[in-house]
Amino acid sequence: MADLSLPQAVTLPNYFSQGDLALPAQILDSEDVPSALSAALNSTLHRERWKYSKTAPVLEGLASAMNLPTIVGGEQAGVQISHAPQQNLSFGFDLSQAPEAFARLCYAQEAMFIHIDKALDAPLEIHHADSTVPVLLSLGANAEATLLENFTGNLQPQNTLWISLAEGSHLKHSRNSLEAAHLHWQYLAVDIGKNADYLLNNHAAGAGLRRQDIHIRVSGQGANAELISAAMISGKLALDQQVTLEHLVANGKSKQVVHNIVADGGKCTFNGRIHIHEGANGTDATLANKNLGLGKNATINTKPELEIYTDDVTCAHGATIGQLSDQELFYLTSRGISPESAQALLSEGFLRQCTQGPLAEAALPILINAIKQEQGA
Amino acid sequence: MSLLEVTNLHATVGAQDQQKAILKGLNISVNPGEVHAIMGPNGSGKSTLANVLSGKPGYTVTDGTLTLTDTDLTELEPHERAQLGLFLAFQYPVEIPGVSNMEFLKASVDSLARARGEEQPNTAAFIKQVRLLATSVDLDPQFLKRGVNEGFSGGEKKRNEIMQLLLLEPKLAILDETDSGLDIDALQVVAEGVNRYKNEHNGVVLITHYQRLLDYIVPDFVHVLADGKIIQSGDKSLALELEDKGYAWLT
Repeated sequence: MADLSLPQAVTLPNYFSQGDLALPAQILDSEDVPSALSAALNSTLHRERWKYSKTAPVLEGLASAMNLPTIVGGEQAGVQISHAPQQNLSFGFDLSQAPEAFARLCYAQEAMFIHIDKALDAPLEIHHADSTVPVLLSLGANAEATLLENFTGNLQPQNTLWISLAEGSHLKHSRNSLEAAHLHWQYLAVDIGKNADYLLNNHAAGAGLRRQDIHIRVSGQGANAELISAAMISGKLALDQQVTLEHLVANGKSKQVVHNIVADGGKCTFNGRIHIHEGANGTDATLANKNLGLGKNATINTKPELEIYTDDVTCAHGATIGQLSDQELFYLTSRGISPESAQALLSEGFLRQCTQGPLAEAALPILINAIKQEQGA
Repeated sequence: MSLLEVTNLHATVGAQDQQKAILKGLNISVNPGEVHAIMGPNGSGKSTLANVLSGKPGYTVTDGTLTLTDTDLTELEPHERAQLGLFLAFQYPVEIPGVSNMEFLKASVDSLARARGEEQPNTAAFIKQVRLLATSVDLDPQFLKRGVNEGFSGGEKKRNEIMQLLLLEPKLAILDETDSGLDIDALQVVAEGVNRYKNEHNGVVLITHYQRLLDYIVPDFVHVLADGKIIQSGDKSLALELEDKGYAWLT
């Protein structure tokens, strides 16, 4: 396989050279950036993450034009939006996990920095139309916020979001990616500090390819991460979800439940890696990925992975690929419900289990409608 | 006209190449207003009878006839049988996460109304009716918002079945060991529900292991099923006799 390379030379954004944000551990000074990115892009780990989708079109798009996302709720007290970061924040930049996203920061040069330092009254909304500049969102100690993230666009949009949660902060993040673009790449990194909580309600429909990279770091003691995700992939569309959840310190907790329906000709890839570092004693981590295949020629790839380097942990993971349960179908039809309606009810119920939070009401009808179209009901 | 007429019923379970004969010439006739209890040792075919009547996939009728109000059931799908007025209270009600109990009940009532050319009930009135019925079988109306049977205890599942019986008002109700796993209080609630349901137009087939349920729901007929056939029929005193002597003296 030919070596992967970036479309243009990379330059570090000013806020790194001015020392406002710490560089990733892999980079000692700005001279190292090209070689570090190249090494990360061509690592085994990276190839593994791009096994089921082509990385080249995403790499080509990294330097393309981008606009500012629209922010709603940014004027309320406790929110600061700026071009420069607050100091001493840990975004947990990790080149081995995210060479593309870091390159995107370099190509963008400017980024949108949002800092929240108290409990917000109203949700903060980020609306992405097509490709947007990287957003770096930080919550100060004990801050609380609800983040709603929405996407529209149809070509090859790229959206990157980095989140830093300081001690004792709470973020409830809901994200809808329902519009079918040609190639949509979304990168999300979350660094969760001591006793902080992060919840992501993720809802996705298919696109030509929708690629969702999610990297969550439980990096403070007693931190808690939760990822609940539902997706419906129909027609000839595709979704590729790559989730890495790292427990770096002791007594963290994480829970992931991902339900995906793949119908006629659709393709869905899920890779969920839980990495529990040495010393992360008392970690409690669970991951469940359930896939439901409807119709013919649905392609489902799923791989839950555990890497555990400490003994004292509770960890459970599982992945299933199946069809609707005969028992459940019989129960519904025995009450007079037609087989077609029973199938629709059960498929909807499967998604509904993971459709939660403030954007659920907007997501459900779209996901359910895709099921109905698929079943010709 | 009899409600349910089963004649010389032979049925097998299993895939085509490994079918196992379970029912071997079973006859039963249920008239409107009657309660029939079917008792019998483990493995005699009681649950198979319930499943064959309701059309569960995996069972094949190899001989004989079964009709509900003179309509042949053998070729009908489970939902068509339900639309004709057949109801099975499950021995093990199925948990369906993600589909709320209320949504499920509405889908059921709407389907039945549509099939019968009746008007679908108004949603607000429907919700009120279901809440009242739930309370009447001692089921907290909060359970209506949960997934169907999701996280219900054994007793709550059975009460949910009886609530559906009262809501759907079928012509023929088959209760498959609805009493199993119930404590005395729950048993009384279930029995009270069945007694509330039954009238001179409908019929009940009560499949049970124990005579105790028959203290609360008094059968007009008691049948003993063994090795796929009814080997003895009588009135309620037969159940008492079975309680006393077991099945061995018959089989």
